[in-house]
Amino acid sequence: MADWPLFRSDDRLLLILLALVVGICSGLAALALNRSLTALLTWLAPYRGELWAFVLPGIGAVLASLFLNQMVNDGAGHGVPEVVHAVSRQGGKMRFRSSFSRLVSSCLTIGSGGSAGPEAPVVVSGSAIGSNIAQLFALNDRQQITLVGCGAAGAIAAIFNAPISGLVFAVEVILGEWSSLNIIPIAIAAVAGTEISRTLQGNQIVFEHRIFDIQLPDYFASAGLAICAAIASVLLTRLLYATHHLAGKTVSPKWLRAGVGGCLVGLIGLWLPVVLGEGYHAIDEMIAGEFTAGLVIVGAAVLAKILATALTLGSGGSGGIFAPSLVIGSLVGLVYHRILVMFWPSVDWVEEGCFALLGMAGLISGMLQAPLTGIFLIVEITGGYDVILPLIIVSTISTTICHSLEPASFYMKELVERGQLLRPGTDARVLSDMQVREMIETDCAVVPPQMHLRDFIEVVKSSRRNFFPVVDPLDQRFLGLVRLDDIRPYLFDPLLYDAVVVGQIMDSQVQVAGPEDDLNEVLQHMDVGRLFSMPVVSGERFLGMISKATLLDRYRRELMVQTHWR
Amino acid sequence: MDLTLSQIAGCLSVAEPTLERWIRQGRIPVERIGGECRFNLATLERWARDHNMYFSLSAIEDKPVVATTGRLAEAMARGGVHRGIGGVSVEDVLKNSVTRLTLLPAPVRDELYERLVSREQLSSTGIGRGVAIPHPRSPLNQSEDLPFIATCYLDAPLDFKAVDHRPVFVLFILVGDSIDSHLRLLSRLAFCLRDDAFVSFLRDQPGMNLLLARIEGFERQLAENG
Repeated sequence: MADWPLFRSDDRLLLILLALVVGICSGLAALALNRSLTALLTWLAPYRGELWAFVLPGIGAVLASLFLNQMVNDGAGHGVPEVVHAVSRQGGKMRFRSSFSRLVSSCLTIGSGGSAGPEAPVVVSGSAIGSNIAQLFALNDRQQITLVGCGAAGAIAAIFNAPISGLVFAVEVILGEWSSLNIIPIAIAAVAGTEISRTLQGNQIVFEHRIFDIQLPDYFASAGLAICAAIASVLLTRLLYATHHLAGKTVSPKWLRAGVGGCLVGLIGLWLPVVLGEGYHAIDEMIAGEFTAGLVIVGAAVLAKILATALTLGSGGSGGIFAPSLVIGSLVGLVYHRILVMFWPSVDWVEEGCFALLGMAGLISGMLQAPLTGIFLIVEITGGYDVILPLIIVSTISTTICHSLEPASFYMKELVERGQLLRPGTDARVLSDMQVREMIETDCAVVPPQMHLRDFIEVVKSSRRNFFPVVDPLDQRFLGLVRLDDIRPYLFDPLLYDAVVVGQIMDSQVQVAGPEDDLNEVLQHMDVGRLFSMPVVSGERFLGMISKATLLDRYRRELMVQTHWR
Repeated sequence: MDLTLSQIAGCLSVAEPTLERWIRQGRIPVERIGGECRFNLATLERWARDHNMYFSLSAIEDKPVVATTGRLAEAMARGGVHRGIGGVSVEDVLKNSVTRLTLLPAPVRDELYERLVSREQLSSTGIGRGVAIPHPRSPLNQSEDLPFIATCYLDAPLDFKAVDHRPVFVLFILVGDSIDSHLRLLSRLAFCLRDDAFVSFLRDQPGMNLLLARIEGFERQLAENG
């Protein structure tokens, strides 16, 4: 199929057609998960009232963990960092099994009551579908990465019936780069995903559209809400990592760990059922202003939902943080509104549903540190453009605060700590793409250790370089380096010409680089040792020299090629 | 005009692995037909211009063709194989060997002898295991028939003050035409002499054809290993 001449004729056309296919496939994956979740929830609904029902999330989490770790051998977690990692480091290459594994495991986790969202698993599936279609057509890395973005966009677009959010999420979170080359295919995939969802499910907005009458005091209040949302985001992020580390240390088999976490969530759910599952129904009630529970209960629910999400995902359950963030956000909005009303009852505040909505945007923007995704998602899933101004205020302030408290978003935190978040057009990306073996200069004069200084001076005469690697002529072993600067005193002393051999004047304690070494580390060694060049040695064999001069030249070329796309 | 990857890399003055990566990452315009990559020169030139990069075909045309293989065998064929070199001292042996080098005019032979002796006085060129590689310290003032390596088998093994104190039975008189060729020949010869089988093969005083066959084998090996 890779040689199909008709489709091969124009790369952009091919990419657009494939984007359409990827968008449809990831839309179907999203619908499949959505349908099976609904089915599982309906099936388990009658048992929810029972006291023993708290084990249900545990059982679901155990099954999900066993499925992921034993059957398909694909790591647990929410999966979006894996997609970003594939985009940053592997040219977008993802395994085929990722296109379905998380659908099954997250369906088990969430359907049984675990506090997680279906969006991240769908994003992983969509991205993996995009990647595998790219591999099928033997596309290059750039096109493959675009198709991974298409998969993510199609998935988000389909599950939320929100094409712009899909596009923005793919570009802002997954790819980290806007360019005319990837925007068009991603937009097409987002539209395709949305259309699939509308055709098969009907054109319904996730949350019922309402008209809010927003006044000036509400704008000022929304800044305060942003602060509350940011605090909740940071709390959720830290608690997620804390439970993850704690669970990793205390309970040994992975499935048991997930099971314990699930049962704890079930226990919380007995008292506050709002924490269970994805929680979209509760959000709908909150926006409609029908969520009647008192301020204390709602406040407790915020903390309980944060804890439940941290337990579900930290213990190894499978699912995303999108839906829990939306629930927490709307709960925070509700609490904030009720406190406002309590302190300033005379002010004519907007309905609490509006603040629930703004809280969602604050949480999403804060967790993802992606303000655009937060703004567009809320506009699209609530069908209300009239709240855009406070939405922008909440999203940007929340992102800014979260960014100053947690320099990397929840998705990227681990990647940043491992130094693997490499956004296009950055120094780290350019350096990680270039390899030591691409920089090797082989035009240096190699000398044997037995050579006399007199002969060596002849070599120096005919060379343009200041470094002379010493290599054993018998076994090509690298022995050391003669630096012109080091031997300058002897060069003009004819008495030494026949008395000294190269082996005596070379520096045998030279720092060397390997052909597979990370260029960033090599550069650090050079900086620390104030070196201008380093020999590259594989095993003990001398391959050539790497120098800062060549590096600058190559770096510049690489930068021009990477940042200047046409 | 069909260009190889390394030629195109040369035109863009980047390394070949870089070009391969650019193709894989889709950063450079290329038509892929099956496993083959086809570049369109005009497209490539435009792409380079768009990226502010210098693209020049002359980079590959000016590149001198360096024949690195077969040089040792050539040099040995030029120098010839000489048996029955007698003498009781290092100087005697060198004198008798140099006399056999009829490819050089007599005055040059004398000069070579002087230089070989003065090099020996400096330190022995006996590199051990019964082999010595006498050579002058600087190239001869003679441009023809160089470089050469003359293989001289001694009548009787002789103490050459070699590094391992073992008596020497064969001399390879190495005369290069430049420091570079001198070093390359020296390193290639040393590579051959690292082989134990080759050294014991030399003890049987093989003739030119047998010797060259062995040397060519070694050079093929060197070419494969890069």
